[in-house]
Amino acid sequence: MFDQLNAMLLQAARYLDGLASSTALHESYYLYAWIETTHVLTLVVFLGMLMVIDLRMLGLGFRSVPAATLARWLDRPMMIGFAVMVVTGIALFYAIPVRTTQSLWFRIKVVLLVIAGLNALLLRRYVSDTAQFWEHQGRPPAGVRLSAGASLALWAGVVLCGRAIAYDWFDCHKTLPGLLYKVAGCVDELAALEAAGG
Amino acid sequence: MVDLLPWFEWFDQSALATAAKAYGGVFVVVQMIHLLGLSLLGGMVLLCDLRLLGLLLRSVPLSAVARETRRYFTIGLLVMITSGIFMSGAVALKLYYSEMYWAKMTALLVGVLFVYLIKFPLLRHPGVELNRVARGLLASASLGLWFTVAATGRWIGFS
Repeated sequence: MFDQLNAMLLQAARYLDGLASSTALHESYYLYAWIETTHVLTLVVFLGMLMVIDLRMLGLGFRSVPAATLARWLDRPMMIGFAVMVVTGIALFYAIPVRTTQSLWFRIKVVLLVIAGLNALLLRRYVSDTAQFWEHQGRPPAGVRLSAGASLALWAGVVLCGRAIAYDWFDCHKTLPGLLYKVAGCVDELAALEAAGG
Repeated sequence: MVDLLPWFEWFDQSALATAAKAYGGVFVVVQMIHLLGLSLLGGMVLLCDLRLLGLLLRSVPLSAVARETRRYFTIGLLVMITSGIFMSGAVALKLYYSEMYWAKMTALLVGVLFVYLIKFPLLRHPGVELNRVARGLLASASLGLWFTVAATGRWIGFS
């Protein structure tokens, strides 16, 4: 099933790659560079606000402001930053669809994003249900601190993977073990390796 | 004007530079640390400046926001300088000849002086209230300066 999914993803990526606007975006020096710059600099808005919230949830800063209140205030700028990152991220993917689809780092990044999103939903629900009992304390309950710590670690992983996409260490054209071809979705290379009896 | 080329040549041959060139995996981790430092530093600049503009945290005293953001700003700055020195080892000579690099360093120097000699000293005293125009000017100067530092920094990679 995983192989079929990989084949479908590759087919979709090749379709996007065949579109004129995808090629134009890839080959435009300034537009692509500006989109990438916007993507990276918006980290300041999104991750910057997220760090403030998580530091407060960890009890490490801004302790004079009630935790849930701070999170509510910073939610909008954080989500504006996140929206900009998603839009620019989709544009970056659209410019280089095939290589990105087959990027091990991009795939790990997507998985981490999903986990970070689930963690954020759980934390958000827990905070909105229970904050009245603890939000004025400097140090929130252990579960909240654990979730905030996990959030920081997960987003660090997302940044790491995002940065690593630029490097070709595990690109399909390299000679890799079959498992990595499979995980990265190198459909043709995996088929060739299996045909050769690897 | 003192020519810094010998320093860059020395740095290019140092053990640190050799390590930065040899280990791509380490380099990416340091880049991640640099970006996390950017998020922390930039987040603090943004938070304090949006408070100055009256767009966020209006009910929290300005001096309290300044005190908290100053602490994490300094941590972010130290993280960025440390990781930045390591990264520059990999491309020391390229940086010496890069206009964007010198633009960034100039903006960074101005930014650091502005933050520690003008911005935070003005906000230190709980009783002293700046008027709206002064707050707006302070926030705009700060946002403009740090945007320049970050954007020229990103552009080093493209040039």
